[in-house]
Amino acid sequence: MTMPFTLRSGGAASWALRLVAGAVLVYVMFWIPTQASNGVIDTCITALTLMAAAMALNLLLGYTGQISIGHSAFFGIGAYTTGILVSRYGWSPFQTLAVAFVVAFVVGALVSLPALRIKGVYLALVTLSLGLVFPQLIKAPKMEWLTGGARGLDKTGFKFTKKNPTYEIFGWNPWGNLRGENVKPFLYWIAMIIVIIVYLACRGVVKSRAGRSLIAIRDNETAAAVMGVNLAVTKGLAFGLSAALCSLPGCLSAIRTGNVTPDSTNLTVLGAITFLIVMVVGGAGSLWGPIIGSALYVFVTDRTGDWSDKEAIPAVLRPFFGWSHTPPGSGIFAVVLIALMFVAPFGIVGMWHRVVRRFVKVVPRPAGTGTIDTPATAPAEA
Amino acid sequence: MSLLRAQGLTAGYGPVTVLNAIDLEVNEGEIVVILGANGAGKTTTMRAVSGTIPRSGVVEFDGHDISRTSPDAIVRHGLAQVPQGRGTFPELSVEDNLRAGAITRRDGAGAVAADLQRWFEQFPRLAERRSQRAGSLSGGEQQMLAIARALMSRPKLLLCDEPSLGLAPLITKELFEVIERLNAQEGLSVLLVEQNANLAMHMASRVYLLETGRIVASGSAAELSADDTIRKAYLGF
Repeated sequence: MTMPFTLRSGGAASWALRLVAGAVLVYVMFWIPTQASNGVIDTCITALTLMAAAMALNLLLGYTGQISIGHSAFFGIGAYTTGILVSRYGWSPFQTLAVAFVVAFVVGALVSLPALRIKGVYLALVTLSLGLVFPQLIKAPKMEWLTGGARGLDKTGFKFTKKNPTYEIFGWNPWGNLRGENVKPFLYWIAMIIVIIVYLACRGVVKSRAGRSLIAIRDNETAAAVMGVNLAVTKGLAFGLSAALCSLPGCLSAIRTGNVTPDSTNLTVLGAITFLIVMVVGGAGSLWGPIIGSALYVFVTDRTGDWSDKEAIPAVLRPFFGWSHTPPGSGIFAVVLIALMFVAPFGIVGMWHRVVRRFVKVVPRPAGTGTIDTPATAPAEA
Repeated sequence: MSLLRAQGLTAGYGPVTVLNAIDLEVNEGEIVVILGANGAGKTTTMRAVSGTIPRSGVVEFDGHDISRTSPDAIVRHGLAQVPQGRGTFPELSVEDNLRAGAITRRDGAGAVAADLQRWFEQFPRLAERRSQRAGSLSGGEQQMLAIARALMSRPKLLLCDEPSLGLAPLITKELFEVIERLNAQEGLSVLLVEQNANLAMHMASRVYLLETGRIVASGSAAELSADDTIRKAYLGF
């Protein structure tokens, strides 16, 4: 079969495509906080939060093959570390990110201990119990002095007052007055930077020797071990890093809303399942999968957010959703998930790859040092 | 000098003991073949040596006691295993499979790339398919890949667990030629488990005969084929 297009990986055309995609991405990235309405910016922050969490989970589940239904706990560790340090000890929110990273890393590495012995469904149950226990632990009466119990904590974000109206970066103030609604672009950039950090961390790991060990463990644990992959250490690091990265969007949620409660969605098992679903819909085991899945999820739930009111539903769709008294966003997404598992088991990114391969022939980069340009055809004798 | 020496090696799975205190030796530059029927404990021997199952007894490799060493540390000592069946990583490309074999190495990207090049020259069919998913290769190609991947760790001893499993006779022959060539040219020592006795005997320096977890006979290939009862019972000619 001849392909209409041929693309040489690392060639000029491939770089041009990347450049265009990158330019569009950067343009959108700057367009949102400067031109869009506060409502749109707010929705984008929600999407970015979900993206970071789903990417962190992807590192563990998509690449290492270790299932976790308890990542809401790591998200919560981030939220509460920031909440406690800011509201009780008066830290600056940014400083708390590093602490949350370390705390979540340690907890994540500890959770990896059962993962050394159990797999699949059993590991899912252990992590599920972590997700279930976390909000209860926060609400426990003996922890109230620290966590604020069921009421949670408030004043966990930035405090902009008349005297101190902005956040300056070494004396440079790109924001103007940050009081009231003006704060949205500022929060947007914090979210964007967290997403970029998580993306770069995942990319750095996945494209390296460490990433190959992770995938090796996922594909064939025994073979990985006899290739010299230290299973205990590698799984521990994967769990720890995934947990630590997942805590960052948690910190963000505390900074953004200015309060932390143990029952907010992302801190309960429902949150962990949301991370899981958007990751799978986007494409597990691919760098862009969780990003696309999260964007789609937030888009769908945001568009259908006011559909509990019959009048808000477009007339064509009213017969389908009119009976519902709650927004049908998650329901629609669930249907999308089932349909997608049927037609594209590798998610949206997997489907994209399959479609592209029909039209474009991608010629891979030469191996190793790039010394082979044409593969040897004669069998090596001698 | 003996490269690998196992004494009183006992191993099994949970309550079941499969290997009963076997003694085993591989000298430098040798191809040692373990023959035996199904369930004799051949694969268990391999696993016990590479440390992937609990074992007792003494295992020494290249002057180190590896009786209590973890599998990844054993690889670092220079012992690589080609697991039974097609132990490749199906979702990784052929090239990344080979790179995964170099995980233990710390001698720099240049040396790894040079080795990659070298094995691509030795196995031209892998070079042609280097960016394909390993899962899409044929059985023989996957077995070649598994061997090349094990060699990427620059082992002194290669453990091969039934490389002929599920392969056409012609492919098996080709595979064995590769192993012989590596042994002759690179001085690679090989411990090979096989059911295909006739083929394996041809290239073996020494042979162990395993029966229900015990070594019942050992010696050079010529000695074993000279013994009438052994020949009839195990070799079938």
